[in-house]
Amino acid sequence: MQISINDIISTLYYSREAIEYLFAKKDNISISQLKSEVNISEEMYQRMKSMEIIYEYENTVVLNDSVINMMEDILQIGESTPGIISEYVAEVRRYISFYQETNHYRFISPLKKYLRRLDKAITREIIKLQKSIDDTYKNESNYRIKLRRLEEYRDKRDTLINNIYSLQNVLSENRHTLSISGDAQLFQIIQTLKQTLLENLDYLIEIQTDITDYINKIQYQLDVYQKAQQLKELKDQGILNFSTNFHEVIEKLNPIRFNGHKSPRTKIAIDTLYTDIGQQLCQKIAEKYKVTQLRHRTTAGQLSFNINEKLLDHQILIDTQALVDKFLKQKEKDLFEFILHYKFPKQIGELSLEQKLSLFVEILIQYEKQLNFSYRLKYIEIMDENNQPKKIGYTIILPSKQKVKQTAES
Amino acid sequence: MKVEDLELPKQTHEIFNILARGHFISSNGTKEGMGRLYDILNDPQNFEKLQDYFSVLRYKIEKGNNYFYFSKLNEPPSITEKKLETFEKYIDIIDLFASLDNKITIGSRFRPSEIAEECNANVRLKQKLNKIPLYRSENFLNKIREICNMLARDSFLELEDEISETYKVLDAYTYLLDVINAITIFGQPQYSDNSENSNNENIDININPN
Repeated sequence: MQISINDIISTLYYSREAIEYLFAKKDNISISQLKSEVNISEEMYQRMKSMEIIYEYENTVVLNDSVINMMEDILQIGESTPGIISEYVAEVRRYISFYQETNHYRFISPLKKYLRRLDKAITREIIKLQKSIDDTYKNESNYRIKLRRLEEYRDKRDTLINNIYSLQNVLSENRHTLSISGDAQLFQIIQTLKQTLLENLDYLIEIQTDITDYINKIQYQLDVYQKAQQLKELKDQGILNFSTNFHEVIEKLNPIRFNGHKSPRTKIAIDTLYTDIGQQLCQKIAEKYKVTQLRHRTTAGQLSFNINEKLLDHQILIDTQALVDKFLKQKEKDLFEFILHYKFPKQIGELSLEQKLSLFVEILIQYEKQLNFSYRLKYIEIMDENNQPKKIGYTIILPSKQKVKQTAES
Repeated sequence: MKVEDLELPKQTHEIFNILARGHFISSNGTKEGMGRLYDILNDPQNFEKLQDYFSVLRYKIEKGNNYFYFSKLNEPPSITEKKLETFEKYIDIIDLFASLDNKITIGSRFRPSEIAEECNANVRLKQKLNKIPLYRSENFLNKIREICNMLARDSFLELEDEISETYKVLDAYTYLLDVINAITIFGQPQYSDNSENSNNENIDININPN
């Protein structure tokens, strides 16, 4: 089948969702799983297969390694492969020897291509190596594998250094040959590459320090673990304090946590607790200690009455005592009836039913001891503001027995 | 001199909150933006300013291997029964961790259930776990959970994922290892520098089994 670059790019583009999915899930993905997880037509799937973008193995589907490598290279992720550098160095060596033999310009072009590739590839491989080292140290949970992988990265780093040295040798040994070619672009590429190689050598030395540091840290932890086991044995034998300087070492430990230092406590002024900030603090504390009965002190809502009504309420409060006295002196009516039919002074005017009810409740609370609670309910029907009959029930309150008695005596 | 003139980092309050609770700030911590707080403290200029600032409160920032913590100025460390008990318990715990097949090291992640499973399958670990004085004694998993809680409370571990109950070992864990390393067993050579003891032939842990 004849395939053009355009075909490859457009197939990659139209199947990008499937490629992204397969790239992320490198493990075994079944064909049905792929088709259910991503939106891909049968035709497109067959096209990917025929162009070898994907392979099928016993009902599983995998992405072509070249596609994976291409993406890993661009993203500068994946395992470092120093082998590719030595291949490029070998190619450089080969084309230089061809040029030396023939002095033909056609060998300069591939030479430049490989030198450019080396410039990019060495940097890329080093970045990948550094990422892999950090990732292994931070995320590999099995310490044996962690150590082995770090040792492997040390080998890879050595290979990369050797490749750089051999490339530097190739360039310096053939300096004369390369300069007589008179190609300004080649000269420029070599200069840039030389600079890159020097920088990368520095970077690789840093990487070596990192690897050594990581390996030492793991090794140190393992050594300490061994010591902890010995200390535990001594502890179990009850001779920890006699066979070690445990006591002295622990005494010298200075973190505040182990020396009983509590975190500093700032005393808050009571007045502050009444402010909005104080209220927020109280709520936080209540949440922390799971206090459910904290009274919410929220901002007061809009006043539901006007100021005249407020004044009226105030006046009624002042007159309550007189009202109660009058109630206690009479015998015919219970408290609610008394309030309901009471003729209030002109200054106060006619009270609404609701106001009378609140006055009734207010008296109940305020003069509880002087009143005689019968604990019986009485229902009456009255007309409300809209002249609609309304049945209300209330508890019968009579003047107190003592008072009645006193009144009777008098 | 006003506080504003000191040009303190804006995270000073957060740093103080963590350190004054007696916690460590580790470079690989993720909760409460710990990694960022570590970077701020690790900057020499910030460190100097904060050291001066906290010294007024008689606190001293101590720097360890990828972690920071508070000590008290002009107050020598004391020895208490509780301090000894805590570290005796830590010896028990580290001994248990040391006996696991998959060793817990800085940066590694683990779930209590994984350790409980290993303890369940290994008589030696079972015995070790049984000997650690813990409040919960119903089953291995709860015991391991209690150990993890204790280590997380002392900021040596971090509960990275509550749903999967995954813990991450923070850099502050090195502090515990350093304490163990600082203890001298009489009659045994002492290795003070960790880089020197990597060639110890007596190590029973085989790095490369092949």
